[in-house]
Amino acid sequence: MPQFSLYEEEYHPSPLKRTWIEFRNSHIAVVGLVVLAGLLLFSLFAPFLAPYDPLAQNIDGLLIPPSWTVNGSISHLFGTDALGRDVFSRIIYGCRVTLGSSILLVLLAMLIGVTIGTVAGVMQGVRSSVINHLLDALMAIPTLLIAIIIVAIVGTGLVNSMWAITLALIPQFIHHTRSFVRAEMKKEYILASRLDGATNRQLFFNSILPNMIEMLVVQGTLALSIAVIDISALGFLNLGAQPPLPELGAILADGLDVAYLAPWNVALPGLTIFVMVLAINIVGDGLRSALRKRLVR
Amino acid sequence: MINVLTRYLTLFVLTLLVLAALSFSLAYLFPGDVLTNLTGLTPQNDMQREALARQYKLDQPYVVQFYHYLGQLLSGNWGHSFISGLPLREEIGIAMPATIELATYAMLIALIVGVPVGYYAGMRSYTPIDHTINSVSLFSYSFPVFWLALLFILVFSLELGIAPLSGRVSLLFDIPDATGFILLDILLAEDIDKGLALSDALHHMALPTLAIAIITTAAMIRMTRRSVIDVLGRPYITAARSRGLSRWQIFSRHIVRNALLPILPLMAIQITTLITNAMIVETLFSWPGIGNWLIQAIYQRDYPALRVGMLAVSTLVITLTILVDLFNRLIDPSREKYERATV
Repeated sequence: MPQFSLYEEEYHPSPLKRTWIEFRNSHIAVVGLVVLAGLLLFSLFAPFLAPYDPLAQNIDGLLIPPSWTVNGSISHLFGTDALGRDVFSRIIYGCRVTLGSSILLVLLAMLIGVTIGTVAGVMQGVRSSVINHLLDALMAIPTLLIAIIIVAIVGTGLVNSMWAITLALIPQFIHHTRSFVRAEMKKEYILASRLDGATNRQLFFNSILPNMIEMLVVQGTLALSIAVIDISALGFLNLGAQPPLPELGAILADGLDVAYLAPWNVALPGLTIFVMVLAINIVGDGLRSALRKRLVR
Repeated sequence: MINVLTRYLTLFVLTLLVLAALSFSLAYLFPGDVLTNLTGLTPQNDMQREALARQYKLDQPYVVQFYHYLGQLLSGNWGHSFISGLPLREEIGIAMPATIELATYAMLIALIVGVPVGYYAGMRSYTPIDHTINSVSLFSYSFPVFWLALLFILVFSLELGIAPLSGRVSLLFDIPDATGFILLDILLAEDIDKGLALSDALHHMALPTLAIAIITTAAMIRMTRRSVIDVLGRPYITAARSRGLSRWQIFSRHIVRNALLPILPLMAIQITTLITNAMIVETLFSWPGIGNWLIQAIYQRDYPALRVGMLAVSTLVITLTILVDLFNRLIDPSREKYERATV
């Protein structure tokens, strides 16, 4: 950035850049983004960052307290659990399983939801009204219920719980896409493209989708925080990821047996979920207010 | 008005039909015998099996079967539990009110605390106190409910010992089950010390209710605050201000009611979260509600119970959601059908 403007040149940042500038102004949002990026790094490079194998049991080191307590040792930063597994490594891998699967399922739900939502938004008449209302009503079924049913039909497992949460998230994306597409279809730039002879398909990909991306990002962060909470809740209830797999909720459930003896086995995985959800919510909140401020100015 | 009512009634019936069809198909989708999944009875021999199959019209086409199933549901014959052998209607009749009770109190707390605090934060928007309220609510909104409940148990029940660990009321009180709502039951019961029983029940209730309420309250604060800020930016507020109305007059005459409108449909969404959270918290506090019951059913692979339990819970949630939506539509007909505010 030059110190002074030699020419009276106006600076017009792109909408994306303006959002970023607004976002950067909020320090809390930036901290949230950094934390989220850190967790993402943990998930991506878990094998390089984890000091131990998350599944390796060590009979000589059961329930070692975390390193900051008197009896703790620095070789196990967060201590060990009832089977002598290193809690720090398990949490790093847990971030990978929980955050990774959440991101995957949100992307999948977004893809399906946007497709159906677009069709529903373009459709008109009684048929669309029935579908829309039914979807709205079915959207109310709790994730836990869907998960229980899926588990009853096909059995427990991380992938099955992912399907359940995907199913539960799809209606939200349908809902928002539908109202967005419906509102955009009435605007004049769509009419202009239509007069130019654009097909419905071209209209969607060239005109509506670029405008929709911001809405999708915001909805995506909302859905992501729900997905993380739900996946860990199902893991905790033993309906999702099964015990040896280091999923944060499942780790928490494992630690429950020794909660009184070794509270760090409950506190630390829970804290990780909490920090993860908090970071996602802060980033989402920052994004929303940045978008709002950009539109106002 | 009548138009809207018919629309919502049709929607309600249609949704329930879809749910009933889903629940019927579960009998086929679940592993194991269709007859057992549908009735909860295990036939002892072939003759009994044929008789039962004829009774439940299993030898006829699916449509007839479904029609018969609907009739059975409506007449209250929901089948028997696989594990306990009791009629499912009775079991759900006991479990459901417990959940509703928990969720209602949590919702009440959320409304009583959340809405006024939200108004306050909204009126003082972008001041330090608003930022504090906003951050605290974002913080508590991010708690995974099961972890929060666990922390409560660890701190209040195990460390401090001021709240009981599980259940609804101490077993020393013999309280007959009249309505299913424990506080009402205590008031209706005879031959017990009502004061003691009430305080005991409230002690049991405090932790689970608080765990659910904290999250719902945070959501409520955020919704109300956002809505108030949106209303503050409207032209009619500027107009009122230019007429010289005081802050309090503007607030009481223009903001209170207008800000409530977008919150109502959001409450409909909150109901789902609320019931889910209640169901999860129940398993931790051994609260004898529908969530605990369903989780036990899935651990024991009690398929008839799951089939009916799913129908019962989703019917409850959808009824509440549609009622809130309908109410919202009736008090605010100008509203676009699909419009919803953000959290």
